[in-house]
Amino acid sequence: MDFGSILNALILGVSIASIWLIAALGLTIIYGAAGVINMAHGELIMLGAYSSYMLQYYLGVPYLLCIPASFVIVALVGLILERGLIQYLYNRPLDTLLATYGVSLVLMQGVRLIFGSDPKYLAVPEIFSSNLSLGFLSISTFRVIVLLVTALLVLALWLLFYKTRFGVQVRAVMQNKEMAASFGINSSRVYMLTFALGAGLAGVAGSLFGVLNIVLPTMGASYVVQAFLMVVVGGGSLAGSVVASGVTGEMQSVFAFFTNDTFARFLIFVLIVVFLRFRPQGLFAKAGTRR
Amino acid sequence: MGNLYHNKTAQWLAYAAFFAVLAIVPMRIDDDFLLNQLATYGVYGMLALSISLCWGFGGILNLGQGIAFGLGAYGMAMTMQMQTQTESNPIPPLMLNNGLDYLPMLWWPFANTGLGIVCAIAVPTLFCAIFGTIMFRARVSGPFFAIMTLAMLSAFYTIILDRQAYTGGVNGITPPSPLQFAGVEVDPYSPLAYWTVFFALMIATVLAKLITQSSFGLVTQAIRDDAERVRFLGYSVAGYETMIYTIAGLIAAVAGCLWVMLVQYVSPAQLDVGFSLSMVIWAAIGGRLSLVGAIVGAFVIQGAQSYLGDTFLSTWLLILGGFFIVIVRFLPNGLASLLEAALGLFATRKPKSSAESNGAEPVPAE
Repeated sequence: MDFGSILNALILGVSIASIWLIAALGLTIIYGAAGVINMAHGELIMLGAYSSYMLQYYLGVPYLLCIPASFVIVALVGLILERGLIQYLYNRPLDTLLATYGVSLVLMQGVRLIFGSDPKYLAVPEIFSSNLSLGFLSISTFRVIVLLVTALLVLALWLLFYKTRFGVQVRAVMQNKEMAASFGINSSRVYMLTFALGAGLAGVAGSLFGVLNIVLPTMGASYVVQAFLMVVVGGGSLAGSVVASGVTGEMQSVFAFFTNDTFARFLIFVLIVVFLRFRPQGLFAKAGTRR
Repeated sequence: MGNLYHNKTAQWLAYAAFFAVLAIVPMRIDDDFLLNQLATYGVYGMLALSISLCWGFGGILNLGQGIAFGLGAYGMAMTMQMQTQTESNPIPPLMLNNGLDYLPMLWWPFANTGLGIVCAIAVPTLFCAIFGTIMFRARVSGPFFAIMTLAMLSAFYTIILDRQAYTGGVNGITPPSPLQFAGVEVDPYSPLAYWTVFFALMIATVLAKLITQSSFGLVTQAIRDDAERVRFLGYSVAGYETMIYTIAGLIAAVAGCLWVMLVQYVSPAQLDVGFSLSMVIWAAIGGRLSLVGAIVGAFVIQGAQSYLGDTFLSTWLLILGGFFIVIVRFLPNGLASLLEAALGLFATRKPKSSAESNGAEPVPAE
């Protein structure tokens, strides 16, 4: 067990953390702002991967443009979903969980009907498929790209939530919907936009995951439980999700270094349950958030 | 006269009629495979019943019922596997194939059939009791508890997948011969297997019905409607929640045992998130506030999946998902509430709104 391989595991941990974080970002916003447990989040990620695939395969859009385009497409899907279904269920949290699970079944089977269940692949520019090596360290370039995109998105979200008028409105609605409404904030509109934003972020995650893994109708299912746990451990705030993903990503990498990937996941799940037993409100729960 | 739907005598009569119909089935059918399939529906009915008890009457949405079901199933599969091992060949092949040349301690109790079955039922029940105590004491409830059960389910799924030498990994355990119990071979395709499931389902249903009508059941329903108020009245909310959660777990564990008896097979797929969620779908569509409604929900959905599934293979999930969304959106208490409303039309005096306010309204998070 030399120093180099431990360091490599730690760096891999950062990369794993960024993947978990980008999967959880959209969910954080939707859960944090609207308290909706969106079981269809994994399928929104899957839709992001498929919309990138579609743009690339049928229209020949370059990969880097597919990422923002997936954001827009999946955000629109999210908007329709919110207006058509979720908005009627805001005061029934358990029912949103169930209804969105129904949505996830429909989306998965719908995509399977259109595209078939054979795997699809996203093509990326040459330079992304190489490896970066730095002395004894080696990491694929694309994982660095994922890390950069994640960092960029976190920064953008932070600016949006803490530096703009819209962000103030979202945080006001989060803290007390009725009070915010009495100050003239249209909470229904805020919910709608945050849901669309969260869905769009899932789209971005999907267009990145489509490169890391193959694109399949069932690909979303593997992300949703994990993403949920990040959000719940983080307490539904942006900073919470960042820290939660960072810590669990590192732990996953280090445990996997000593045992194997599957056993590491088991350990993480158990540790999360134990952690939430003692801190059900998560890492950074603000006082006064509605729960 | 009030709504017949809420009349206790009428309810018991309906239950008796329901089980009478189920009892006639084996006399009418001489297709062994169909009988076996109907018996597996009975097992699914038990799972839906356990969800209805826990969620409809206890307010605890449990997305991890696959834990109790899966552990029960694994216990039974291990017992049946050990029955086929002889003195000269004491180690199951799945271990030898994975380079394990001794019987691990985990498997020791299952070498004895009686002890094995007791363990298969007691271990998941005990797990539910411990997990429930820990969670409910910390006042974890509502969507949070649902997510915790989901995390626990994923943990069990991964560990069973990972410990290949002990659990058979992704292939699971396939006991080569049927269960031998007290000198009798329970052939999965025989009426004996059907009757075993029938009586298990009937006993579970009657017990669950008695529980919901007891004062214990009334307190759990009060907790479902407003946990905080019940706590202020001096009841131990955590104790009641743990109890109803554990009873539901016990029913699911028995269902797991019976399921392996019928199909002679278990794999991590029984602990898959999708399967646990489909149990919730059965109960939700049938009606979570009606025990027999939930059972019928399981029959209808699984039956439709088997028969319509072949015709509409590609669109089945689409139909199921869409139907489920409609039910959650417009009929939160499932199809049973349609019957309730229909019988309500015949009631001479409008019944008090006790039934309507049962679950349609939001249950406060705290």
